[in-house]
Amino acid sequence: MSITRGLVARDLRVAVENKEILKGIDLTVEPGRVHALMGPNGSGKSTLAFTLAGHPGYQVLSGSATLDGEDLLGLPPDKRAKAGLFLSFQYPAAIPGVSVANFLRTARMAVRPEDLNPAKFRKLVFDKLDTLDMDPAFLGRYVNDGFSGGEKKRLEMLQMAILAPKYAVLDETDSGLDVDALQSVGRSVNALRESDEGKDIGFLLITHYPRILKYVPADVVHILIDGRIVKTGGPELANEIERDGYDGVRASTSSAQAEAAAARA
Amino acid sequence: MPSGVSETLPALDFTPTAATLDRVLTFLDDQDDGTASDAALRREALARYEALPAPGARPNRGWKYDYAALKFDELRWTSGRIEMAAIPSRPAPKPRPEEAGDLDRPALATENAGGLFFVGATRIDAPSNVDSRITVLPLTESGKHDLAASLAGTLHEIVDWRADKFAALATAFENCGAYVRVPDGVQLETPIQIVFASAPDDEAVFPHVVVILGKGARATVLERHVGDGDPFTCGIVEVHAGEGAELDYAVVQQTGDAARVFFSRGARCERDAQVRWYLAELGGALARTVLSAKLAAPGARAEASALFFNTGMQHVDLTSGVDHTVGPTTSDTVVRSAATDRGQGRYVGNIVIRPKAHGSDASLRDDALLLSKHAHIDSIPALEIAANDVKAFHGATVGSLDEDALFYAGSRGIARGEALRLITLGFFEPVIARFPGAALRDEIRTALDGKIDEATEIDL
Repeated sequence: MSITRGLVARDLRVAVENKEILKGIDLTVEPGRVHALMGPNGSGKSTLAFTLAGHPGYQVLSGSATLDGEDLLGLPPDKRAKAGLFLSFQYPAAIPGVSVANFLRTARMAVRPEDLNPAKFRKLVFDKLDTLDMDPAFLGRYVNDGFSGGEKKRLEMLQMAILAPKYAVLDETDSGLDVDALQSVGRSVNALRESDEGKDIGFLLITHYPRILKYVPADVVHILIDGRIVKTGGPELANEIERDGYDGVRASTSSAQAEAAAARA
Repeated sequence: MPSGVSETLPALDFTPTAATLDRVLTFLDDQDDGTASDAALRREALARYEALPAPGARPNRGWKYDYAALKFDELRWTSGRIEMAAIPSRPAPKPRPEEAGDLDRPALATENAGGLFFVGATRIDAPSNVDSRITVLPLTESGKHDLAASLAGTLHEIVDWRADKFAALATAFENCGAYVRVPDGVQLETPIQIVFASAPDDEAVFPHVVVILGKGARATVLERHVGDGDPFTCGIVEVHAGEGAELDYAVVQQTGDAARVFFSRGARCERDAQVRWYLAELGGALARTVLSAKLAAPGARAEASALFFNTGMQHVDLTSGVDHTVGPTTSDTVVRSAATDRGQGRYVGNIVIRPKAHGSDASLRDDALLLSKHAHIDSIPALEIAANDVKAFHGATVGSLDEDALFYAGSRGIARGEALRLITLGFFEPVIARFPGAALRDEIRTALDGKIDEATEIDL
């Protein structure tokens, strides 16, 4: 049996506090490709992100999630990261008293124990800081403690660059950012995609607004409404959202569903 | 007894009664070596010890110790002058594994300006390179050196032993100690170290440390309690900081699992003087500490930075107090504590701002982290403000581990146990960062890290 490469969800149904949020998600993010998952508030976007990353508060009712064929759902969060998954949080947690440098070192050592060499690690960190145009003073600060929204997102991007995962899920990394910060996030993703380490990373870009796709063009766009992917298409689908909003998509899909139901009848 | 001993003195079985004190006094008379506490004072102090109630009831059901029922029958009391050929090397901190790419933590070597080393109550005499500008002597030799004038106003005057049961006990049975004087204008670059190592037998140790800083003097004193033995230690530290003087006084307590370590430490700050207390209670079964500062003249400032991390059955009972007698004076107290297994803690934070202390500014912040179901820490702040036009801040939290932070670290590949270690050590970092010297800070981090390894119930 051949292994399906990709970050794959199959008929994934997930509940939070006994309320079903995801009602059967089918999705495949291939290596090196950018998939955008768009949807209105409450559609289940963040639930998918947290479920993939292994948050204990999300109960998988049925279905599967695999990374290059490896089952994710049976693994604790750290093993998923070791398998090659990265989640950029919408609201990254603060870890007071733990410096960014120490955290990066611990995380990198956990994910890639084989290539840790102090000098090389140091060079890697400074190279990435440089690429992301970040102040080295970041390293001495406590993880996300007292960070502005923009700083938190930049730290997420720095961690993604240093951990160089196989698949990265970016959960509303664009939310709450001004244009400059948004451009900076876009540059971070693109710089990583252009690097040797990052060219095969598959991205799942979760977003409410199409604007980040101007900086990071998506290969595939999915529309998530009420726990289901109702439409999948090319980059033009994002333009449709921009023009008609989610209500437009909801109307067209529900009318399409109604037609299909009528046809079956 | 350590090797190389040329003279030893017999030990007395110790119980804190008038009969024991009589034997102690006879014993000291025979030695004829002018001690700091005279017989009348010792007798008065013992009477106070007997009269004063045991401090505080048990704060909660998990608290194992009853101060009123302390057992002394197996202790021994000694006092000695023992000459040794060479000082035992200072117990080195466990070497820290070389960290990959130490981006944020430069190391700093520690050298001493001078110091004293005690094994039990016995001073180990050894060649030392005391800075010639300062005086560092065993307190029990103060009579020989005619220090009465220098000690007046400090010895037995700063810590109120008449109101503190265990300070009274320490005063009655004092059997070792240190006198440190840093004259006017002398500013030391390196710390003075006073080390108390546990004796091989169950020796009762009653140390008395006196530190006097002249005008504009600056010094750092590091008081260590080390060793695998389980002594009963009951001591007093008295600090007098002259006008414009600055003292950093750090205590690292790492005694054995069954040790009981009681200390009352007090400071008096004159005009524009600053005293900064640092306390790391890491070892022992029961550690009881009173840390206080009296701000006696305008411009005086006191800081206290304390941490404890109770694992196993450890109990820590910490009281801090700042007395703003006049204004403007300032104080800043920060306490971080954690407990796991069946560890118990109590922190009482007192701030008094008296009627004449206008324009004063006091801040008191304590945070506690509970890592297991049976661990318990009480936080009891008490602010008494009798002046107008003052700033007083108090904040306290008691919490458990942040699950969001654990998940966040997990999503970065950091396994739960390691994340827990990171977050717990991080919890202490704001107070560790206040300790003087990178070497000392690293030593404390390493010790806390070791305690996480020892803890059995760190994960819920």
